[in-house]
Amino acid sequence: MKIGIYFCNCGSNISDKISAEAVTEAVLSFPEHPYVTIIGFICSEDGKAEFEESLKRERPDRVVVAACSPRDHESTFRRCMANAGLNPYLMQMVNIREQIAWVTEEPAIATEKAIRAIRGAFFRVRLQEPLEKKQLETCPDALVIGAGPAGMKAALSLAEAGRSVVLVERTPFIGGLPVRFEELFPALECAPCMLEPLMGDLLHGDYAERIELMTMSELVEVTGFYGNFIAKIRQKPRHVSLHDCIGCGECVEACPATSMNEFNSNASLRKAIDFAFAGVLPNAPFLMEEICVRSRGEECRACKDSCPMGEDVINLEEVETIVERRVGSIILATGAGLYDASRVAGIGMGTLPDVYDALQFERMLSSTGPTGGEILTKGGNAPASVAIIHCVGSLDEAHIPYCSGICCQYAFKFNHLIMAKNPETRITHYHRELVLPGKEAQTLYHHAAHNKNSRMKRYDGIKDLKITQDDNGGLNVNAKGEASPVDMVILCPAVIPAEGAGTLSSKLDVSCDSFGFFRELHGRMDAAQSTIKGVYLAGSCQEPMDIRTAMLEGMATVGYTLAGLQPGRMIEIEPISAEVDETHCSGCHLCISVCPYRAISFDTERNVSSINAVLCHGCGTCVAACPSGAITGHHFTNAQIMAEMEGVLK
Amino acid sequence: MTSEKGFEPKIIGFLCNWCSYAGADKAGGMQVPYPPNVQVIRVMCSGRVDPQFILSALVKGADGVIILACHPGDCHYKEGNCRALQRHSMLNLMLEQLGVEKERCRLDYVSAGEGEKFNRVIAEMVQSVRMLGPLLLTPENRAQVICLDEQFTEC
Repeated sequence: MKIGIYFCNCGSNISDKISAEAVTEAVLSFPEHPYVTIIGFICSEDGKAEFEESLKRERPDRVVVAACSPRDHESTFRRCMANAGLNPYLMQMVNIREQIAWVTEEPAIATEKAIRAIRGAFFRVRLQEPLEKKQLETCPDALVIGAGPAGMKAALSLAEAGRSVVLVERTPFIGGLPVRFEELFPALECAPCMLEPLMGDLLHGDYAERIELMTMSELVEVTGFYGNFIAKIRQKPRHVSLHDCIGCGECVEACPATSMNEFNSNASLRKAIDFAFAGVLPNAPFLMEEICVRSRGEECRACKDSCPMGEDVINLEEVETIVERRVGSIILATGAGLYDASRVAGIGMGTLPDVYDALQFERMLSSTGPTGGEILTKGGNAPASVAIIHCVGSLDEAHIPYCSGICCQYAFKFNHLIMAKNPETRITHYHRELVLPGKEAQTLYHHAAHNKNSRMKRYDGIKDLKITQDDNGGLNVNAKGEASPVDMVILCPAVIPAEGAGTLSSKLDVSCDSFGFFRELHGRMDAAQSTIKGVYLAGSCQEPMDIRTAMLEGMATVGYTLAGLQPGRMIEIEPISAEVDETHCSGCHLCISVCPYRAISFDTERNVSSINAVLCHGCGTCVAACPSGAITGHHFTNAQIMAEMEGVLK
Repeated sequence: MTSEKGFEPKIIGFLCNWCSYAGADKAGGMQVPYPPNVQVIRVMCSGRVDPQFILSALVKGADGVIILACHPGDCHYKEGNCRALQRHSMLNLMLEQLGVEKERCRLDYVSAGEGEKFNRVIAEMVQSVRMLGPLLLTPENRAQVICLDEQFTEC
């Protein structure tokens, strides 16, 4: 085997401490008589040319480059190898600059250490094997789960970029939580108006054809991996064709069955076939089978008969279907919900009248809500005094330890909106902390702080607050021994992951943090990537956030998809990965338990583990863990590492 | 590596590519000398370090082995350093039975920015092994280590 050793003087950076002549002499005693070439600056343009020329002339089987850190120039010299027609992985670098010349005082000792390191690399490189980057075809399209701000933004932007998108939404409508709100912090924009252009483009814009919207749907199962996922989606029957319905509402009028409307916090009635709320998009009602009289065996086709668009719009026989879609990436945008305030003792949620959580109050404020936007107590009067309680269940080890970061802002929005409707209302904010970050959040706070009818009261822990009802039915907020009568209480509970996030995480193998939010690949560097390659996180499924940040995260996931998956471009699979030798695998599953990337699966038929090279990051943890020695870590094999050790110790 | 000053230990250092190897490069950039006794073997992750590498190093003539990893929570591969820690604790129990002092096998954490810490940890390691003297295994223990090493080489 012909081996070339290339020694870089790095000007005098290396040669001041390490003698090329002494190295050359020492190499004479190595087996197989390698040749030594000394180059002044191997990374310079001249140096690289000289290196490549020499490689072409000598045609070595293996190459050692003794120079700087491989973290600087390993890829440079691998390219030189490839340019000279040699396999880049047949080269081993020795870091004689950063880790020897620059840190060793005596030249003789530095030279001796360098010779050892070069001998190690020499022994190692003899065992190195040619490796090839494999390529794999991919699908450039995406599945987006959740049609709130983050999911809509991602879906539309991907469609604009020419990608096909499957947009799966659990509810019958798009727009997420904020579309149910009247106005938004910090600028009191009308929420439906703000979202309308985005929703309009998504449904009927120039790129809408590329977006397949599935409402009332959920993910059932995902197989495959980055670039090649197969998603199974369950679509519940809407019984109304989104394509043909014109949203006239004739069927709603005709429907004989009623029930409470969950999208109005169960504070108003709906028909069996009805819109979720007025102005909802897509502008089509849906039939709730459990309310429909047909579910009780009665014959009824009032809705179908009333439809002016013909027989085909309403399909009473429609059943649940499961469809399969192939996508390259998956964007999770499943949003958030509120901590159940009834779990916090003593504040009256669910037990006292006129105690509302923030979502219920948002609906009350909404012109499409149960009171048409009027702020009314159960008795039908405008409240003369309101208590807004911040930090409900937040910053509390017994409930939710974190601060959700958005509640103070909407609490002061509530203040502003209540004052706008009823300027004489007395409002007291009870808070543990006030959190108002960023350049815009102070405005609404100042409005409240400078209003003569508003007060701020700080409390230490939620246990110090008690909401009680007196004999006349009036509410009292008891804090620090003082009872304040109020007509209405609004609770601002902690923001928590949306229902179903846990089930979704197990379907996708995506990890969750201790709070149940999807865990980021890296909290700062890659906050919009999950722990599974090709599964991205947008919006408040990752942590509590405002609409602005959710939209930005939606765009971030688009960036990952567009950068990683391009039509016609194969993805390259890094050859430094692990591989199972099936003949040695005992089927113990240990490798599966240590792999941080879920790259290893178990083939139950053959009773062996198998590593997906696309998902493997090449860390080698499984290689070290395998008790049967059945896993090879390419480019870092046991034999290579042992040989290097032997070389440096000799 | 024996100088006129007396015993100079041979030490193998397993450095993970992302944090400690980068930390060693940082120490290089600072150009502050440290003892030359540690020969570095680069691995992608400290989780790659098989306990048998360490046994093998001791048989092949190393007086000590140091594994340097990313700080807990900072592992480039998420949790490889936790595996390294688990294996290190287990191996130390075994080494003790074979008469190898625990100071000869050290695990520590050096981040990519901690050039000074790298310098210090290397100096400490070299000094502590220097104090212990050359690794002398009883013929019996040596045979056991070789046996373990050979079992490994076979598979």
